[in-house]
Amino acid sequence: MRNDSEPKRWLGPIVRLAAIAIGAGLILAFPASVDNPYMLTVGIGILNYAVLATAWNFVGGFTGYISLGHGALSGLGAYATGLLITVAGLPSFVALFIATALVAVLAIPIGAAALRVRGASFVIVSIALVLILLLVFQSWASLTGGSRGFVVPRPFPELRRAEHHMVFFYLFAGLLAAALLVWWVIDRSRFGLGLKAIREDEDKSEALGIPTFAGKLVAFVVSAAFTGLAGGLYALWFGDLDPVFQFSVLTGSTMVLMALLGGVRHLFGPLLGAVVVGSGLEYFKLEYGDTPLHLVGTGLLLFGVVMFVPEGVIPALSGLFNRLFAPRETSIREVTAAALAESRRREGEADR
Amino acid sequence: MSAIAASSSHDRSRSLETVDLTRSFGGVTAVSSATVSFRHGKVNGLIGPNGSGKTTLFNCVTGMIKPDSGRVTYRGNDITGNAPHRIARAGIGRSFQLCRVFPRMTVLDNLLVATRATDLKAQLGSARDRDGIDRARGWLARMGIDHLENAEARNLSWGQQKLLELAGVLMGDPETILLDEPAGGVNPALIGRIGTLVRQLNAEGKTFIIVEHNMDMVMSICDHIIVFDRGRPIAEGPPAMIRSDPRVLEAYLGV
Repeated sequence: MRNDSEPKRWLGPIVRLAAIAIGAGLILAFPASVDNPYMLTVGIGILNYAVLATAWNFVGGFTGYISLGHGALSGLGAYATGLLITVAGLPSFVALFIATALVAVLAIPIGAAALRVRGASFVIVSIALVLILLLVFQSWASLTGGSRGFVVPRPFPELRRAEHHMVFFYLFAGLLAAALLVWWVIDRSRFGLGLKAIREDEDKSEALGIPTFAGKLVAFVVSAAFTGLAGGLYALWFGDLDPVFQFSVLTGSTMVLMALLGGVRHLFGPLLGAVVVGSGLEYFKLEYGDTPLHLVGTGLLLFGVVMFVPEGVIPALSGLFNRLFAPRETSIREVTAAALAESRRREGEADR
Repeated sequence: MSAIAASSSHDRSRSLETVDLTRSFGGVTAVSSATVSFRHGKVNGLIGPNGSGKTTLFNCVTGMIKPDSGRVTYRGNDITGNAPHRIARAGIGRSFQLCRVFPRMTVLDNLLVATRATDLKAQLGSARDRDGIDRARGWLARMGIDHLENAEARNLSWGQQKLLELAGVLMGDPETILLDEPAGGVNPALIGRIGTLVRQLNAEGKTFIIVEHNMDMVMSICDHIIVFDRGRPIAEGPPAMIRSDPRVLEAYLGV
């Protein structure tokens, strides 16, 4: 803000950097601080969710196009990685990156077709994508193993189970850092501002000279690449793929829930949502086993988010913080016309 | 109508022109073989009864909807059916009938979004570069809303949003500006201010094409007026001539 008081100007970035450093430190220290491999797998699951939700947010957060079909992209990444190892005989991580490139290339025609429609129509097209791929991967059993499953060879066969998890925890953490970095770069860029304009009013953006279709497509391809990469890494870690779980509408829905819960306009919104939803899902599984109760919990959480914190937890909390501790920085609605005139007069004097 | 003039090409002295432009919605022909040529460097008025096809004409020439037939040229170049952002980049800016700003963006971002990046480096560069911010503040100051730069656009009053929309259009540095009812829902003092701004900007070289129902405003700021009825022009000329044209009086002014 232009009329910030002096100390706040440098305090903001420092507080933010410190928070990021603490968050990163907590993540990196997590494997050493848990004493059983189960907790480590929970951590990996949450990091995987965080990467997926952040990847989803390249489209959902910036352009406002709500895709429920991102499970298709992670599934493609997973199966492509597996098949490139088993059928083409490529080394695991070469296969991972080629698979990611394939998903990105495939995302061009998919995005070009799907992004022609907006709103609810786009949501439905994205669901159709997942369902079609589910059918294909279930039916094409000779290649994918169908419902019997598909075993992806482990990249480090010499590692013990706990070490395997440890390595993948850090791989997922690195991937999350990369996704967050790219999201941050786009968020502050001209390109990103154009994408956000699409979210606000697509026709108006076009009229201002923003090539909206190209912008949406680029965002979709970047999102697909990170989603495919996360899917492929999951395949290498988990080692067993089933079309029902890989090409599930639930994957996409969970990404949406996590991003909405944390706040789609915020860099760390999807990450926060992944931590909350990921631990919640794990808790339900632990307490109630293989019941559909976690779906009920997910549904209730989505209801709660939409009803009470539609902007997500991060904006809600920062709004609360501002109301309690920095009342001068709240929205313009709470500033009187007289106060505005006064600050303007003071600025005018300062300029002179 | 200057149908003959519109047929030759690449003449930089010409402004926005249409030849036999037609667009229907279902059974309704909103624009019906309209041949119109606006005057470059002038403030053009486009008036006519509601439903006479003015906004549809705007939407066709700015690429928001595709015409069924006919041609649109700008400065002699055929722009028929081009994507809206390409037409915008060719130098035509527009406002919308019901004022449209980006509600959840700050006032400043509403302007910065209109700065155009052509290469990858500029695309990935910060949206808040010094030069852009300075230019944006310049336009905001000119509109008298610079004190609101950090406010979210949705929190502005209707009049302020109108000014913000105009500032956003100007930020793209168009040479021709289409305004769809700039005085709609605006108080008389602000109408006067918008009128003055239009005249000033015109003196600085901007061409204006204005759809407006407020006849006081149209008659006082326009150099050249085209009257639309039933999807096509029925008269054109300077304000004094339009005011006394019997066809216009019958179709629109309703005397």
